[in-house]
Amino acid sequence: MAETTLAHLLTLLAAVALAGGDDAAAAQPSADPAGGAAEDDAADEEAAPVYEAVVVGEPADPTPALEDNRATSTVSREELDRRAARSAPDALRDEAGVFVQQTAHGQGSAFIRGLTGQQTLILFDGIRLNNSTFRQGPNQYFFTLDSQTLERIEVQRGGGSTRWGSDALGGVILAHPVTPAPLTDGDGRAFSFAPRLLSRLTTADREYGGRLEGQATLGDDLAFFGGAGLRRVGRLESGGLLRGLDGEPALVPRFATDGRTQRGTGFDELTADAQLAWRLSAHHRLRAASFLYRQLDAPRTDQCPAPFAPRDECLTYEEQFRTLAYLAWEATHLGAWAKTARATLSWQRQHERRRLRRPSAFTAHLGRDDVDTFGLAFAAESRAFRPADAVRLRLSWGGDLYLDRLASAAWILFTDLDFVERRSRGQYLDGSRYTTGGLFLELGAELGPRLTLRAGGRGGRASAAAPSDPASGSRAIDAGWWPWSGTLGLSWRALDALELLTNVDRSFRAPNLDDLTSRQQTGPGFQFENPLLEPEQALTLEVGARTHGIVRLELWAFVTRLDGAVGKSPREITDCPPDTPQCATAWTRFQLVNAEGAALVRGLEGMLSLTLPLELALRATGTTTWGEGPNLAERPSDPTVPYRRRVPLSRVPPTHGTVELLWGGPAGLSAAAALRWGLAQDRLAVSDRSDARIPPGGTPGFAVLDLRLGYRLDSALVATVVLENLFDAAYRYHGSSVNGPGRGATAWLALGW
Amino acid sequence: MHNRALRWLAWTLVVAGCAADDPKPSDPPGGDGEARGAPCAPPVTYSEDVSTCAPLATDYLPRDGGSATDTWAPCISDDNTYHPIEPSVSTIARVAAFEVIADLLWQNGKVPAPADFIDARVAYEEEQGLSSRLARRYDPHFPPPPTGGCEEPAVAAAYPDYCVGPARLQPLIVAAFADGALGNDPLGNAARIEAALLWFLYVSPIKEATTCTTTPKDCDSAWAYYTGGTSRTLPIGLARYVDRLAPETHDRAFDGILAVRCWKNLDNEAGTSTDLTLRDQAIAQLDRALVRGVALLARQRVLELECATGDYQTAALAKLALLVPLLDRETRARDVTAADLLLAQVALPADQIDVAAAVAAIDATYPCP
Repeated sequence: MAETTLAHLLTLLAAVALAGGDDAAAAQPSADPAGGAAEDDAADEEAAPVYEAVVVGEPADPTPALEDNRATSTVSREELDRRAARSAPDALRDEAGVFVQQTAHGQGSAFIRGLTGQQTLILFDGIRLNNSTFRQGPNQYFFTLDSQTLERIEVQRGGGSTRWGSDALGGVILAHPVTPAPLTDGDGRAFSFAPRLLSRLTTADREYGGRLEGQATLGDDLAFFGGAGLRRVGRLESGGLLRGLDGEPALVPRFATDGRTQRGTGFDELTADAQLAWRLSAHHRLRAASFLYRQLDAPRTDQCPAPFAPRDECLTYEEQFRTLAYLAWEATHLGAWAKTARATLSWQRQHERRRLRRPSAFTAHLGRDDVDTFGLAFAAESRAFRPADAVRLRLSWGGDLYLDRLASAAWILFTDLDFVERRSRGQYLDGSRYTTGGLFLELGAELGPRLTLRAGGRGGRASAAAPSDPASGSRAIDAGWWPWSGTLGLSWRALDALELLTNVDRSFRAPNLDDLTSRQQTGPGFQFENPLLEPEQALTLEVGARTHGIVRLELWAFVTRLDGAVGKSPREITDCPPDTPQCATAWTRFQLVNAEGAALVRGLEGMLSLTLPLELALRATGTTTWGEGPNLAERPSDPTVPYRRRVPLSRVPPTHGTVELLWGGPAGLSAAAALRWGLAQDRLAVSDRSDARIPPGGTPGFAVLDLRLGYRLDSALVATVVLENLFDAAYRYHGSSVNGPGRGATAWLALGW
Repeated sequence: MHNRALRWLAWTLVVAGCAADDPKPSDPPGGDGEARGAPCAPPVTYSEDVSTCAPLATDYLPRDGGSATDTWAPCISDDNTYHPIEPSVSTIARVAAFEVIADLLWQNGKVPAPADFIDARVAYEEEQGLSSRLARRYDPHFPPPPTGGCEEPAVAAAYPDYCVGPARLQPLIVAAFADGALGNDPLGNAARIEAALLWFLYVSPIKEATTCTTTPKDCDSAWAYYTGGTSRTLPIGLARYVDRLAPETHDRAFDGILAVRCWKNLDNEAGTSTDLTLRDQAIAQLDRALVRGVALLARQRVLELECATGDYQTAALAKLALLVPLLDRETRARDVTAADLLLAQVALPADQIDVAAAVAAIDATYPCP
C-alpha cells in the first residue's frame, strides 16, 4: 500500500513541478485564474505598502522560511556567536515560548508550547529531521545539528502542519545551514578561498574543540563551503545536589565524590559537511550538500546509573549518527505560479547504537537502530495577483514525501563468556516502513494597506507497515491515514507601530513507528506499542500584538486543543505483550493511547526589546504554559482511591523567561548580563511521578545570571567569553536528568583569513 | 599517547561513515549435561511436627476465625487473603523468572546442559529482572553502612553481610552461570544458583516489608517475593519449597505476610507508616517462619549427603556451603554451639560430615515457625 501511495504522490509532484514554467514564461504576463492580471516585478514594487510586507511581500528567495504573521522568533548567526551556545538546542534557551529539556548532556529537546519530541517538527534546510522513530517525549535529535554550521534557527510556535506536514503540533524549528556565498556575475576572480577556524573551551565540562571551515569559489558559477569539527566534552560540573519540592534529593543524576560533577555526562563529537553550489543560469541554482554528525559515547544521564542501580551500570549511546545528503534546486521567475521554487531530494540516515553495561553481572544489553529516510519536497510561491485595486494575492503551494526504512536489532552479551545472543526483535520491528507526505496550498491576501489574510490547507497520507515477530508477540502493522490540516490568519496594522494578529490552525500528527511498534524503557517506565493508534490533531487559536520602533513588544496568547492526544496510559502487567518479561518486571508500564476527550494547552508569551541610551538595550522574554488533559489511567474500582478525571499534561514547562541587558560598545565590543529564570513546577502528570528526571514533588525554581563579553571585527575575528551561572546555583530545567552547569566560563573564538 | 592516536584514527574512520559492526551471535554451546553418581532414591522426606509449638501472644492469626483470637485490630487481611495494594506487582515476574531458571537447571530431573545455563542466564538478566534486584539487595538484619549504599562497589565490598546481594549472591550466581555454560560441574553450579536465589527470596520479603513503611507497594513485593504473587494454597518460588516440605511453616509464613499487610492497612496504607512497633511485630512473625523454612531446606540437603552419591552429593554440599553461612547470623543468635557446629560441618568433605549431629543442631535451633 505504501508503494502505491508513493507512486501516486511522486507522479503528482512531478506534474505540479513541471507545470511551473521556465525563464521565458517568467518574462510574459500570465493569465490570472482570478480574472486579474499577474503583475510584473516593477508593479509589485510600486504597489508595496509603506510598511514592511508581511505575507505577500515579494518573494525573492526560495529558501524555506516561516511566516511573519505567526508567532516566530529567530536566532541569528550573530546571536549564536554571542551566546556561545553549547548546542543547537542550547541556542534556543533565550527564546520566548521555548523550553529546553536535557535527559543527557549530549541531548536536548525543545519544548514549544508545552509539546516536544514527536509533537514538534524540526527541519534542516527545509528537510524534515523528524522521522518515524521520534518518540513520545523528549529526544536527542535536535542535538545532532552542529550549531557551528547553522546560519540561523527559526522557531514558529503553534501548529504548522499545513506547510510542513505531520508532527507540527506545538511548533516548528527551522534550522538553516551556512551556505556557500551567493554567486553573482562579474566577480572577476577565477578562484578564491577563505578559511576560518572556530574554537571553543568551557570549564564546567572541560570541553575543548574546534572547527575548520572554508569557502571557495571557482569562477562565477561554482562555490564550495565545507568544514569539519570535533570536540571532546567531559563530565559536567553543576552547582551541586538538587532537592525536589518535597525536600527529598533528586534521584538522578549521581555525583562524583566532589558532590558537583555529574556522572553520566560527557561525550565526543565529530562533524563534517560539504556543500557545492552551482549556478545553472541566472534563475536556477543547484546545491549538493552533505552533513555528517557523529556523537560517540554519550551516556544517558538518568540511566548512568539508573536510580538504585549499581554505580557502574550505564546506558550509553555509543554511536548517535546522522548523515544527510541532498540536492536542492532553487529557482526564481519560473512563471506566474512559481516566482520562486525550491525542490529537494534527500537521503538521511539516523543511526544509533546503545549499550547498557552491567559490569557486576558481566552482561551488556545492546541495541542498534537505523532509519533511512528518502525525501522529496517541492515548494513554490506565485507572483502577486491583483484581482482588484486594493487586493493583492499570492499563492504558496507544494508537496512533500518522505519514506522511512527501518532496521532494528538487539543483543544480550555475556562478557565473561564472550557470548552473544540476538534477541528476537529490537526496539522496533526490523524491516518496518513508513511513509508520510502531502500537498499544500496557501493563499496570502493583502486587503488594503492594513489588512492581511492568510488561508491554506493540506491533504496528506501517512502509512505504516511492519512485519510481525511471533517470538515477542509483536503484531504486524499495515495501517494508513489521510490526515488534513488547515490554517487561517489575519493581521491588522492598527497603527503604524502596532500590528494585531490572530491565527487559527489545525495541525496533525499521524502515529509513527515508535508509537505503533516500539518497546522500550522510558523515563517513567516500560512503554509498549499500540498498533491501533489514530492521528492526533491540534487546533490552535492564537492572538498577538506587535509594536515596532524603539520599544519592540510582542505578546501572544494561545490555546491549543488536542484531540486524540497521544499520551502514556498506565498499564497493568496483564496488559503486557506476551513474551516480554521486561514489561512485567518494570516498576511501571505504559502504553500510548489516544485520549478520549480533549487536552488543552494554554499560554502567554511575551518578548520585549527596548533601545536605551548609552548604546544599551534591554531584552526580556517570558512564557507561561498550562496544560491539562484527560486522565489516561483507568478509574480505580475502589471508590475511596483518589481519582481525578483531568490531570496535568506531562512535563509542561514552568513559567520561565529571560532578562538581558546589552551594551554595544565601539570598535565591535559588546557586553551583556543575562538572567535566566524559571518558577517551580509541581503540576505533574501521572507518568511524571514515576519519572526519575523529575525530583520528588516537582522541580524547584531557579534564577541564573550569566555575563557575556564579546568582540567582533567583521567575520574575520569574533570572540566571546561567557561567565556562566555566576552565583553557582544548583538548578535544572524541568524534566531534565542533567543539572545546569555550575559557575564556569566559556570562550569562543572565530578567526578567519 | 598510543591510545589517543588509535582513537583519532578510529574517529577518522567514523567520519568516513563507518559505524561499528553488529556483534556476531555466538553458537549456543553444545553437549548434554553429564554427572557422575546418583541422587537419593527415594528422595529424602520430612514430616513436620509442630504440635509443641504455639504462636506468640503478639502474632497475627488470620486462620483462627479471621483474626478473632489475636490482639490485632480488624484489618484487610482478616479474610485470610492477601489484598495487593497496587493492581500490578512487578516482583511476580521476577519470581516467574526464578521458576524458569529452576525448570532449566534443577527442577525437571535432568542434568542441565551448557545451553540451559545460557538460557537460564538470559532469563536472569532480563531488564529490571532478577539480576537487577540481586545487584542492589541488602539484608536489613544487619546494620547499614554509616555512609553510602550497596550500589557503591566499595561499600558493598566493605559490608558484605548487609550488602548481601552485590557482595555475596550476585558474584556467586554469575560465576556459576558462566562455569555451567562451559560445561563444568553442572549439578554443583545449578545448586549454587538455586541456593543463592533461595536466600535472595528469603531476604527480599523482609527487606520489602521494612521499606513498606514509606513505600506502600513494597508490601506487595514482600508477598510476591515469598509466594510469587499466588494464594496460600498455590504457592510458587520459595513458598513452594517451604510448603512442600513443611506446610505449617508455610502457613505461618503466609500468616506473617498477612500480618505485614494488616499492619500497613492499619497504619496509613497510602503513605508513611508510624507504628513501627506493630510493623516490627509483623516482620518478626514473618521472619521466624521464613527462616525456619530455609533452615529446613538446609536440613534436607544435609540428609541428602547420606544417600546421594558422586556429583549429586557434591551438589548437596554446595548448597549447604552457601546456606549454612548465610543462616549463621540467626543460628548464632539462637545457639552459638549449634552455629559453630554447623559451620564446622559444612567445611568438611561430604563423606566426613556428621549428618546426625548437623540435623539435630538444625532441629534444636529451629523447632518452631
